[in-house]
Amino acid sequence: MKITFVKKILVDGNPCPKCADVEKKLRQSGNIDRIDEVLIADVRDPDSAGMQLANDLQVTRAPFFVVERDGDVEVFTVYFKFVKQVLGGKTNSTEEAAELLNDNPDLDYI
Amino acid sequence: MNSHKLASDAVDQTPQQVLETAFDQHDAVAISFSGAEDVVLIDMACNLSDAIAVFCLDTGRLHPETYQFIEKVRDFYGIDIDVIFPEAESVASLVKEKGLFSFYEEGHAECCSIRKIEPLRKYLTEMDAWITGQRRDQSPTRSFVAQMQDDLAFSTAEKTMKKYNPLANWSSAQVWQYIRDNDVPYNKLHDRGFRSIGCEPCTRSTAPNQHEREGRWWWEEATRRECGLHVVVKDE
Ligand code: SF4
Repeated sequence: MKITFVKKILVDGNPCPKCADVEKKLRQSGNIDRIDEVLIADVRDPDSAGMQLANDLQVTRAPFFVVERDGDVEVFTVYFKFVKQVLGGKTNSTEEAAELLNDNPDLDYI
Repeated sequence: MNSHKLASDAVDQTPQQVLETAFDQHDAVAISFSGAEDVVLIDMACNLSDAIAVFCLDTGRLHPETYQFIEKVRDFYGIDIDVIFPEAESVASLVKEKGLFSFYEEGHAECCSIRKIEPLRKYLTEMDAWITGQRRDQSPTRSFVAQMQDDLAFSTAEKTMKKYNPLANWSSAQVWQYIRDNDVPYNKLHDRGFRSIGCEPCTRSTAPNQHEREGRWWWEEATRRECGLHVVVKDE
């Protein structure tokens, strides 16, 4: 299995806050050691490796994970699903709810 | 593959047809009732089935008028309403750390995650489908709401959650016409200029020329989240 983590650089050159947050969680949990490759998607540079991969796989959000196993390629744009389904890890339900809302901003409007 | 794009079926049916489809296709399906004009869904559903499931998310911060209205709807239609609550521990820890009004300082995401999303997600694990009063005209981000869709936000590896939005194609005016034509009870706050009704500290009345979404979290900047991956030229 090969895991690629793609994180984004914003137009002002700073890392995207959500990517930074996900990376922090990966480091705190020690899961960073399970990542084989980290690619940068620099929105100012369409040729950056992360932007190219996003383009190839038709991914429109960041951060994202690409998991290659037994010839299959899976893309995860939701961190906690990646942790649960690929790393077999546990996540906290409050954090999962926060990520769900972050990814579906309209959910608060209920 | 995870995708944030909701799979939607291009259908154009009446709200009642959408409700019928939802009831025909699923045993475990519930109507989400916010205590606002989505009461029309309950009215329509009661004419289609005598065993509807309705739930209401009590964030603990609703207006008194909304609690009174929920009771009124329960009595008027003679139905049970599952009132679901946030995890006490999560709320206690948020309030202890950041107080009761953290959303005015830090934005509403954390409080909404705890008081709305976490309990909703837990409740929906028991369901195959849910029904909402979402309409396309409610906010710019709802312009793509479909009448029926796969709800990937609450789907799991084992189960694809379905979401039905019977009012997706209706305008606010159509909803209110239905309420008047059918003598449907409504929340008194609507008479005081509240177009959209949410939690008391985060909802205010709006002027006729304002979008109803402007009645929520008005103190927050109308900034868009920057999760998209589009190329931006340097001096853009
Ligand atoms: S609408 Fe306001 S009070 Fe209600 S859950 Fe969200 S932030 Fe908290």
